[in-house]
Amino acid sequence: MAQGIAPLAPGLTSFLKSLKTTPADPSVEHLISLLKRRQIRNSRPCAIATTALMLRVVGEFKGRDAAKLVERIRQVGRRLTAAQPREVVVGNIVRRVLGLVREVLDDNTGGDSHAGSDAGHHSPAQHDSMTRPTLSSSISTFSPLRHAAAEPMDASMTSDMSDSSEMSRRPPLLTSHTSYAPTSAAPLVNSLFGLFSQPEDSNASTPTGATSPDGKTANSLNLERLADLSRSTNIDLKSEVMDGIRELQDELEQSDEQIAGVALEHIHSNEIILTHTASTTVQKFLLSAAKKRKFTVVHAETYPHDNTATHGILLTGRKRETRLDEDEDPWKPLTATGIPVYVIPDSHVFAIMSRVNKVILATHTVLANGGLVAAAGAHMIAKAAKEHQTPVVVLSGVYKLSPVYPFDIDELIEYGDAGRVVPYEDGEFVDKVDVEHPLYDYVPADLVNLYITNLGGHAPSYLYRIVADHYRTEDITL
Amino acid sequence: MSVHTPTAEKPLPDFDIVSTYRSILAGDTELTMPVAAIEALVEAIAHSSVSTVAETLALLEHHTAVLKASIANPISLSAGTDLFQRYLITTLNRPAALNLGPGDDFRAIRNHLLSNGRLFVERAKQSREKIASFGKHFIRDGATVLTNGGSRVVGALLRRAAESSTMRFRVVYVLSDSKSSDLKEGDQIVADLRAHNVPVATIPDSAVAYSLGEVDMVIVGAEGVVENGGIISRLGTYQMGLLAKSKGKPFYVVAESHKFVRLYPLSQFDLPIEQKVLEFRVADDTKGAASKASEDEGIADMNGTKAKCSGLNADDAVDFTPPDLISGIITESGVLTPSAVSEELIKIWF
Repeated sequence: MAQGIAPLAPGLTSFLKSLKTTPADPSVEHLISLLKRRQIRNSRPCAIATTALMLRVVGEFKGRDAAKLVERIRQVGRRLTAAQPREVVVGNIVRRVLGLVREVLDDNTGGDSHAGSDAGHHSPAQHDSMTRPTLSSSISTFSPLRHAAAEPMDASMTSDMSDSSEMSRRPPLLTSHTSYAPTSAAPLVNSLFGLFSQPEDSNASTPTGATSPDGKTANSLNLERLADLSRSTNIDLKSEVMDGIRELQDELEQSDEQIAGVALEHIHSNEIILTHTASTTVQKFLLSAAKKRKFTVVHAETYPHDNTATHGILLTGRKRETRLDEDEDPWKPLTATGIPVYVIPDSHVFAIMSRVNKVILATHTVLANGGLVAAAGAHMIAKAAKEHQTPVVVLSGVYKLSPVYPFDIDELIEYGDAGRVVPYEDGEFVDKVDVEHPLYDYVPADLVNLYITNLGGHAPSYLYRIVADHYRTEDITL
Repeated sequence: MSVHTPTAEKPLPDFDIVSTYRSILAGDTELTMPVAAIEALVEAIAHSSVSTVAETLALLEHHTAVLKASIANPISLSAGTDLFQRYLITTLNRPAALNLGPGDDFRAIRNHLLSNGRLFVERAKQSREKIASFGKHFIRDGATVLTNGGSRVVGALLRRAAESSTMRFRVVYVLSDSKSSDLKEGDQIVADLRAHNVPVATIPDSAVAYSLGEVDMVIVGAEGVVENGGIISRLGTYQMGLLAKSKGKPFYVVAESHKFVRLYPLSQFDLPIEQKVLEFRVADDTKGAASKASEDEGIADMNGTKAKCSGLNADDAVDFTPPDLISGIITESGVLTPSAVSEELIKIWF
């Protein structure tokens, strides 16, 4: 557990510190308790903590049985998501790690000459990691296949006519499908041809987003397959997965910079930009544009839950809440770069919207249907923007993109301390009035014009593709 | 079914694709049109003595044309025939996919098709169950669902939701008073739901807007899902979509992926079928037009082998619901946004 090193307040920093010295199992308990007590909150800290923990869990995993590794990751993932189901990012990271394990396996079971092909495989990925960590693999196989990763035969089919980049990316599949097919019982057709496939393959693609009744059997089949594969090959599964997790950490670190990199394409001189909440992603985006251009920022303060952080980020460049020991490097606040910033209460948003050129929103989670969960007030801002035909741009790292489908919107909204709306000292008021304090809003997809992720700009209707590229269908139900 | 079209006699005078199709469809009420069409085509290959790829494709093309010409609304059917054709072409081009040697590829594929004929049907039914099994998550406790028509997938989904005892939901079912065939199916679904203690209200088409205030979500079936993500469905679906959009209610489409069809309609009148919905008349020709209409109807119903059917009467007519009205398409391979449909189609065509 937390070592008595320093009088650290429990949080991300203390967790990362204790992780260095604590074995995996107590660390899992530690993170669970931090999540439950909300001492680690918001997407980025949760993502960082989960990735670090996953690295530890995989690192301490004994043996080379891939199926057991997958099961271990799943089991940790299930406990973490149960601890704080609304921090969807935790589940996202766990699914990404599971995807990594499967990818390593798929790459290595490609052919008999796997050692050679693997070396050729891995080094370009490492090169890429400077710009596009981890994603490199899924992005370069940008074939028009939804389940490209899950159904290897698809790749061999389309690579006949697709561009050379894909050819170079997946050579083992093309050369070896005769040896591949019997080992893995790969479905030979893609989803529209599902009707004609062999009966054994019928449960190969588990449906998205829900617990299907046959999901369990499909999973166990998958696991058996994985076990077979890992026994037959002698790959260093663990170190490759750990490499992948480190790339994932790089991605988390760099996603803000990558998003900020395209700022000049979206913010033009003399524009009036409206944003809300204290988001480092948005601030870095605006700062990057402020290096070259002069524009005006209108900042809705999101009282009561985020106003102190908002004021802090505008004055000093760091959220006031954050403790000094969080060694996030401080940056110059927008105001110091000569950008005029107006802070307005949320109630003024509609009034000022007619003068705003662009709305830039930060997000908590992006969902598979193109909708998003963001700090309370976002829905109102987006709606007002729609009314005035003002474009709404959402900034989000890919790690916030979740395969979760919003079956029930109310489940995603978290309610906070009502005492911040009306202080509990105001006994008479509190006695007579019900006070609610929702922390998040659900913004439907049709109110958003553009998503900017670390991969570039996407229309909301395209997000399902990025989800399909990043998460394996078999992992969607943890 | 003795009357043949002139072209039907050329390759195989003894095989009648249309009557095969009809008997397959009549023999199993659970069957959808595209699957029945695939069945019929498999049967056609079984009855033929083709031995080369080109011959097979020509035979297929011929039978497809005959079949399409004999049905008043071949949109749904063409989804099945197109899918089958593409499947044959892609598998015949890659014999290795079936683990076959280069020599015996054609015969093996033929045998695979013939021996698995019934399997396709089972698979299609499975996909309906699959859709139902995770589509039911869309229905939340306390929700009121609006639906229409006699879609079997929607029926399966609602039944599945009704069977889970933890969920209480209500259904508003649009049943038109027309004498169309899916009325019967609709009645059956309503009866089943009521037997499961699900409160169901049946309303006419005209009461959709009135009821929408009580409704949380709209779920409809589709005859075909077109390339831009829109759907072709029973007449009245389009207005439900428009109304749901204007009231901000989610509008979900439930369809198996074998209903994806390669059409790109831009408006209601782009559909490649003739519908007798808008018929402008003046007093003088009322009589003549009416008698002509009833005659056409009689032919369409009684004599299916007539080479060219004249349009659909209003009871069986369909309309096109554009993609911007659709929140999501629930298929057996996941919940798709309308823009994902073209991608799925591109996968098999290019």
